Amino acid sequence: MKTRLAILLLIIFLAFLPAFAGKYLLYVTIHILLLSIFSLGFNLLFGYTGLLSFGQAGFYAVGAYGCAKILLVYPSLLAGILGGVALAGVASLLLGFLCIRHTRIYFSMLTLSFGMMIFSLAWKWRDVTGGDDGLVGIPRAPLEVPGVFKINMAAMESYYYVVLGLSLLAIYLFLRIVRSPLGLTLQGIRDSETRAACVGVSVRKYRLLSFTIAGLYAGLAGTLLPPLESTVTPPVAHWSYSAEPVLATLLGGIYSFSGPIVGSVLFYLLKDIIVRFTEYWLICLGIIVVVLVMGFRGGVVSIFLKEGGRR
Amino acid sequence: MIPPGEPDLTGSPSFDIEGKEMETLAFQGLVGLSVAMYLWLLAAGLTIVFGVLGVLNFAHGSLFMLGAYFAFTFYGLWGVNFWLAIALSLVSVAVVGYLMERFFLRHIYNQDHAYQLLLTFGFILILDDAVKIVWGGVAKIPPMPSFFEGTVSVVGRPFPVYNLFIIGAGLFVAVLVWLLFEKTWWGKMVRASASDREMAGAIGINIPTLFTGVFAFGAILAALGGALGTPVRVVAPGIGAAMIIQAFIITVIGGLGNLKGAFVGALIVGTLSAYGILLFPVFELFLIFLIMAVVLMIKPQGLFGS
Amino acid sequence: MRERKKISRRAFLKTAAAGIGGITLGLKGIEASAQDKTPAKAKPARKALGVDVIKLGGQGVISGAHADYGWQIQGGATLAIEEINAKGGVLGSKLELKFMDEELKPAVAVKNARYLATEWGAHLLFGVDSSGSAMAIGPILPELDRICMFDHASTHRLTEELVYEKGIKQIFRIAAPVYQEGNLAAMIFKEFPNIKRWAGIHCDYEYGYSSWALFKDTLKKYRPDVEFVAIAWAPFWTMDFSSHISAVMAANPDGIHATPWAGEGVMLLRQALMLGVFDKIQAWFQCMGASVDILEGISNEVAAGKFKDKLWATARYIHNYPDTPENKKFVEAFRKRWNRFPNYSAENAYSTIYVFKAALEKSRSLKTADLVKAIEGMKIMTPAGERFFRPEDHQAIYAVPGGRVVKDPNYPIPVLGDLKVFPAQAYYRNPPFEPLKMGK
Repeated sequence: MKTRLAILLLIIFLAFLPAFAGKYLLYVTIHILLLSIFSLGFNLLFGYTGLLSFGQAGFYAVGAYGCAKILLVYPSLLAGILGGVALAGVASLLLGFLCIRHTRIYFSMLTLSFGMMIFSLAWKWRDVTGGDDGLVGIPRAPLEVPGVFKINMAAMESYYYVVLGLSLLAIYLFLRIVRSPLGLTLQGIRDSETRAACVGVSVRKYRLLSFTIAGLYAGLAGTLLPPLESTVTPPVAHWSYSAEPVLATLLGGIYSFSGPIVGSVLFYLLKDIIVRFTEYWLICLGIIVVVLVMGFRGGVVSIFLKEGGRR
Repeated sequence: MIPPGEPDLTGSPSFDIEGKEMETLAFQGLVGLSVAMYLWLLAAGLTIVFGVLGVLNFAHGSLFMLGAYFAFTFYGLWGVNFWLAIALSLVSVAVVGYLMERFFLRHIYNQDHAYQLLLTFGFILILDDAVKIVWGGVAKIPPMPSFFEGTVSVVGRPFPVYNLFIIGAGLFVAVLVWLLFEKTWWGKMVRASASDREMAGAIGINIPTLFTGVFAFGAILAALGGALGTPVRVVAPGIGAAMIIQAFIITVIGGLGNLKGAFVGALIVGTLSAYGILLFPVFELFLIFLIMAVVLMIKPQGLFGS
Repeated sequence: MRERKKISRRAFLKTAAAGIGGITLGLKGIEASAQDKTPAKAKPARKALGVDVIKLGGQGVISGAHADYGWQIQGGATLAIEEINAKGGVLGSKLELKFMDEELKPAVAVKNARYLATEWGAHLLFGVDSSGSAMAIGPILPELDRICMFDHASTHRLTEELVYEKGIKQIFRIAAPVYQEGNLAAMIFKEFPNIKRWAGIHCDYEYGYSSWALFKDTLKKYRPDVEFVAIAWAPFWTMDFSSHISAVMAANPDGIHATPWAGEGVMLLRQALMLGVFDKIQAWFQCMGASVDILEGISNEVAAGKFKDKLWATARYIHNYPDTPENKKFVEAFRKRWNRFPNYSAENAYSTIYVFKAALEKSRSLKTADLVKAIEGMKIMTPAGERFFRPEDHQAIYAVPGGRVVKDPNYPIPVLGDLKVFPAQAYYRNPPFEPLKMGK
């Protein structure tokens, strides 16, 4: 029960954050929450199912652009989020079907190419996506259920609570997923595909499920971006953006539940700290990545827990 | 075709080429060919390294970029003879490649592919900032060596001599590399190690040293691509990362580890992008990735793979 | 099995504790340094504006092929700030600058603007090289409650749509917009009856689209006989323009209108020379070709006469116009300070700081609403000439000529010669603005 207490304290801390934090800190915290959701989904695919996808940003982008297009014509936050997530889910189901028949390098390359196909549409299809300039002037639409309630989102604090609420929900849902038989099956497939198949598990079906859930999480994170920034631009679909959840998860710990979340916090903290001393933060990040891969493949969490990661 | 006197403000790409379609297509294809040669040099090293070492080096484009920067320094800043500058830049990048393989990659060969990708991704971050620190963030534009100035007439249009040089160089390297792997002792050892690492080690080939050599060789090819482009293209941080995706596409299309495939793949991608600007600008990029995806799904070992 | 679960729960606890600890420390860290950086509360009644330091937050592109522009904005702004601080600042308060890299990405520009305004505590924002970034920043300025003086981003839509139509009053633009690229070019070339077939090589983003649309629209009005025979679009990071050039030359144009700028502009011109373009066409209008970095980059080729006097250009300020003491003084001071000629973005940034000074002195307030009123309708003398901030769309009106890129013995780099000067009223668009179709 100590675990539960610790988590409760954390949630209370986050709930009261607006009381003592400035607008900019809230803004950064929202970004951390978005990356956490994005990374959790990614890690279901990587840490739990053993598939490294370099195209998750594609689904993030589908969620982001979808939400943006909806908000530009029908400014209702709920509609934007639901619409964006639904689109991302459909996209990941369709593309996942095509991808999961391959593994390892080929799977990674295939996800890379699909992700970049989405990027190329975002970048070049100016009439629909705004091209290089993206979609701008997206309103931070109010959270409303017509006829029931309408909450204005103009203040950063209000939007923060929406994101926090959704994030906690997503994290809780994720916990249920990985603790469920589904979660155990995925790990079984990751550890030994042939063994899993021998006991009658439909490997493809479970992989597809994992891929779709990862896509839904990526899409959810994506939908929460446009109301925050009021812009959506092609870089969110680029493979280098897919690298962010990868790096965050690597930092925090691939084989642990909380790794992606811890990693997201660290990712932003590191960036914020490094940028105060030098503009060359990429080289610092690169060095950290190299150090982690060479010596600490279990990430920060493994340093604390001495699990040491696998292999 | 736009009727004379009518403004084309509607939105479709318009090229009023007055009936000279064949010449235009031929010329555009030739331009695409010279673009393809840079891609070939980049993809060749990438595919060799994957074929022999089993490593997909994300940072290969950064080696290309370093080749350009070194060549710019020797030739553009220090006034060294053009050919010597290229040779020096190849040596410099080979050293960088050696360091990357010997002290980092070598230790994670037995790990999951994912870690190799992540490690090489880390190298991209490091190298991109490193060039900014050493050379500054502003793009460099070096002068053109005088013996390459001028044009030749092709289908009635002027074609730069330098582009012909690039096409020639690319073909020359292709032949050289083929000879290297087919006819030399080293080439035979490399091919043996690629097909069966354990057996090769058993008959006495020093695998680790060979691998380092192959990696450095791949780095040299990439650097050559970068260096040769110096007089005519911008030298800036990020040019490597911009090209690595195209290199991936080419190696996938051609078959990972397949040199002939890489050459053909480069031709496809290079000419496709040239025609894309002329014929279908909006979907050109999408098309290239679509081809990559289709090849991966239908024939993952590539058009030339087995 | 149970063993495992126990360990993982404990592990979970440890992680959570570490997490909370880490987050708290981290957030406190961010918070603490935020407090270091918010504007200091002033000693009361000492400074007229109530603060010791007036914070100016700027952004531009500092790396890559376009990096010179960010450098120039910083150079011009720093020069102005040093001059003003040396004379006691603005109403006794000193000016402080923080400059960030927008990376030519709208998302980054928006983040920077937000950081500068809310975290760093900037009182005023300025800069911004990319039109796409400007269109993204504009809509969030009311939320940030800060003025942004746009120094470079030139799309007409920034002022015509966002200010005039949508009423975002926090936007001001000190730099001449794409009326230079489009309308001025049309004014020059309507006088060349032999140049009938025009082709375009343009940036595949807002800037390119708006320039091309304005050029076609204006030229067609004066010369119904012209045709637009080819167009090729080049996105950011295009290294090799050969395919674009050859595609466009296939249509046998008489004239070419081009927007790729900075390092890309130099590459484009060089590659065009390599492809023998200047033997075939009658004129090439390199929109921002009179920018110092391009002039430096093509210096050798101009000296050797390779462009055959066919290269035309304009800018948003050129150092050899107007021939006023104000301008001469600025160019000398800039050259002394930085050992280079000032680019238009340097002059724009330099003048921005002086406009801010004038506005602060006039309104004697740091409130955005007061400063907006102070700048609207302001007439101020700057190195580029007298600027008038038109209240309808907050665009500064001043004239910049176009001309041929030529060698001049008085200058170490090429300059614009054979100047075609038009008063601003002759080529700036006026309200009410009819929207332009900006397709491919």
